[in-house]
Amino acid sequence: MSRTPVRTMVRSPFVLVVGVILTWFVAAFLVWPNANLLIETFFPGGKFSGRAVEKLTSSDRAMKSLFNSFLLAVTLAITTNIVGVFIVLVTKYFDIRGARILWFGYATTFIYGGIVLAAGYKFVYGESGIVTGALLGVFPGLDPNWFTGYFAVLTVMTFATTTNHMLFLSSSLAKVDHQTIEAAQNMGAGTFTILFRVVLPMLRPMLFATTILSFLTGLGALSAPQVLGGRDFQTITPMILTFAGSPTSRDLAALLAVVLGVATILMLAIMGKLEKGGTYFSLSRVSTSLARQKITNPLANAVVHGVAYVLFVIYLVPVVLIILYSFVDSRTIQSGTFSIDKMSLANYGRVLGHGASLRPFLVSVVYSAAAAVIVVGGLLFVTRILSKYRNWLTTVFEYLLHIPWILPAAMIALGLIMSYDHPNPLVGTFVLTGTTVILLIAFVVVKIPFTLRLLKASFASVNASLEEAATLMGASSLYTFRRILFPAVLPVAAAVLALNFNSLLDDYDTAVFLAHPLFQPLGLVIKANTDGAASLDARANTFVYTVLLMVITGLTMYLVYGRATATGKRRARLRVPVPVSLPADEATS
Amino acid sequence: MHKLSTIVAVAVSSVLMSACGAAGGAEDPSTSPPSKGASGDTLIVYTNSNADGRAEWLHDEAAKAGFAIEVVGQGGGDTTNKIMAERGNPVADVVFGLNHMYFSTLVAGDALEPYEPSWSGDVDADLADPSGDGNFWPLVQQGIVLAYNAEVFSPEEAPQNWTDLWNDERFDGRYESVEGLGGATTQLIFAGILDDYKDPEGDLGISDEGWAQIEGYFEHGSTVVPEKDLYLRIAEGEVDMGQMFTSGIPSRETEFGVDSEIMRPEHGIPFAVEQIAVVKGTDQAERAHEFIDWFGSAETQTAWSAEFDSMPVNKGAIANADPAIVKFHEELKQQEIDWSFAAEHIASWIEKVELEYVP
Repeated sequence: MSRTPVRTMVRSPFVLVVGVILTWFVAAFLVWPNANLLIETFFPGGKFSGRAVEKLTSSDRAMKSLFNSFLLAVTLAITTNIVGVFIVLVTKYFDIRGARILWFGYATTFIYGGIVLAAGYKFVYGESGIVTGALLGVFPGLDPNWFTGYFAVLTVMTFATTTNHMLFLSSSLAKVDHQTIEAAQNMGAGTFTILFRVVLPMLRPMLFATTILSFLTGLGALSAPQVLGGRDFQTITPMILTFAGSPTSRDLAALLAVVLGVATILMLAIMGKLEKGGTYFSLSRVSTSLARQKITNPLANAVVHGVAYVLFVIYLVPVVLIILYSFVDSRTIQSGTFSIDKMSLANYGRVLGHGASLRPFLVSVVYSAAAAVIVVGGLLFVTRILSKYRNWLTTVFEYLLHIPWILPAAMIALGLIMSYDHPNPLVGTFVLTGTTVILLIAFVVVKIPFTLRLLKASFASVNASLEEAATLMGASSLYTFRRILFPAVLPVAAAVLALNFNSLLDDYDTAVFLAHPLFQPLGLVIKANTDGAASLDARANTFVYTVLLMVITGLTMYLVYGRATATGKRRARLRVPVPVSLPADEATS
Repeated sequence: MHKLSTIVAVAVSSVLMSACGAAGGAEDPSTSPPSKGASGDTLIVYTNSNADGRAEWLHDEAAKAGFAIEVVGQGGGDTTNKIMAERGNPVADVVFGLNHMYFSTLVAGDALEPYEPSWSGDVDADLADPSGDGNFWPLVQQGIVLAYNAEVFSPEEAPQNWTDLWNDERFDGRYESVEGLGGATTQLIFAGILDDYKDPEGDLGISDEGWAQIEGYFEHGSTVVPEKDLYLRIAEGEVDMGQMFTSGIPSRETEFGVDSEIMRPEHGIPFAVEQIAVVKGTDQAERAHEFIDWFGSAETQTAWSAEFDSMPVNKGAIANADPAIVKFHEELKQQEIDWSFAAEHIASWIEKVELEYVP
């Protein structure tokens, strides 16, 4: 991890080739289109316009929404980490009864999100919700709209955004060496001392990543504040989206987006500094896999069990309601008056009834899978270089790769159109607009920062001594990559792949501008069929599409992550023998 | 040996990485020629009028008439932005369904190709392109109204004008107000309200009194509830009235069991007129013209109206349409609005409202 001069770094052909391709990709698809858009926006006709700053600073609403977004980002980064760490510990670390069942409850956030998730929580805690009804029975004076505003938004988003913890923190936890825990126990440390002094510090790289992601989620909050925020707690993203859609107001959208982007970059820089300060891998030479810890204090044990099951119910109820509601008509959904006899398959018949209705699913699956594979595959190489060599050049690239976090997806799409609707030397004189490629490029671009963050955290937690050993034994860099590093980061890579795939499935913001007319993805079809102004069936259709997406994303998570968990034992076995099983010819050549 | 494996590594990684870029389309079933996005003979039709089976119906009927078309549907604002963004290399051949305000934006952006359809003599010229250049032509019309619960107000007690809503205490908090001016229906209503307060000296062409009306609208309204229909809120007694488009009323009355009536201001109500036009830069201008001639014809519009309960513009189609729909619309008085003024300012109005008035 020591600093490597640029001159030394580029001597490696592997670095050189990856570097050349990376430079081209970053220049052509991250820097140029977005710079183009920002220049056009802030320098209309070649002259700088400070209009946006003036307009926004004089708007109370904009300033208040901006403040709310930051408030949400900071608090969400804390609350999500608390809940996220807790659910990871009860499912993977502590010895809790029914941990597997609990895991399935907590994992419901993998398969749904956005407006439907917010609506799901509203069914439970909203004015006509079950919990509100029960509470009114106990406290008749309660305001039926008690579940609105900052508190409601923060609560829902906290539970909704623990996906990263469930996937990535669990994976890091599995790598913790049990011997360190045993050593601490032998020295007389208690359950919670071990947890806070030994285990959690080893999870720091991944906790940094999840903190950044939670911060970013809070900053970009859209649907939860819209559904539950009420008049007092609106955030900035709805305003950004409104302005991004209007050519004359785009400078306001860009400025707001840049403000959020700068905050994100600052957050990254701070986390980067913190990250450099520590050692994150086990120092023991032979690691043994983690065994579940009993909580020795009976009271603490009971409390942890209780909280775990309460959370389980909180996580599960909205999903169950959404599935049930997908079988009733729009009116019942909107009024929240559910009963069994109103259920029918009519909604599903309407959505899936005509012959062409499966095609958008297929188009979206192909696009999302291709983009997910390309972005994870490519960034495995890139992240490897970025985490091995630390110098000014890799730092510059690391920041450049975060550009897609600065701008909303719709503006990235506009930048691509603006830059490639005419032959451009950067892409070999092809015109990209109107082709099937441009949406794929946009999908890859928007997923780069998320993928990079998590892969980087994953590389950081690989035990460096393994790599050293392999290098000392003469393994080539590719061999080391393939046999040592790749297996170590594979669980995270697979999970990122699945999450990228899932989140691209119903993309609307980029597809609306870039989709080829003959290959229209699912997001456009969903939007057309769920737009409230158009039709009375819109609400019911939303729930049907959500359930259908749940089925696909659930299947994806099972294929990728479920199997990765199943092979956990094999991984543990692999981890130790790999360095010693180097084939003689390779090792000695 | 060591060197060789490095070279292999380089080759593999370069193949993998290059997939990110130019060769990325290889995973897709087809990679169309890059020059023109649309495919071969298929006409690409952009519209916001695609929901509830409209896109499928149009696709099938056009095929019967000999047109291979692909309908690309999204909201009015998105469709307009998309055509504007694609001006450098247009994908669409024909656009229809947007109201005249959106079309005026497209005209201002030089994104349309003027064409006079064969049925231009059968439509009311007042509903077409106000510039008289024939950039776009009307297909379907509907009124943009305030619908109120007829059980709560008699026509005499009901508001007589939009401004009554926030200037009369009786209606305080009883009407649904929107969260911004993004929607097409809302934009037409505000264009209608602000039209009375034109002032060349005022901010964005509107007098201070006019902006006070906007402030009043947001201050005294009951904000729209996401995921909850206006008529459901009326049925549950949360509000008594709100904005609506005339074609949406009959189905909602049935669905939610509400008996509603519409406000009839003296100076009339704004009309949303859905238009059709050729996109500038199409490589199939002739086919596009033939398609427009077919789609706007009395025969096709009669069928469209019968299928989707819309009020046609074509006189031949009006004669054949459902008499109840025709009677209802003929009784509506259309408000005279300076559309070119509205189209010129609407973007800055939206911005101002969003920044200063939305609660």
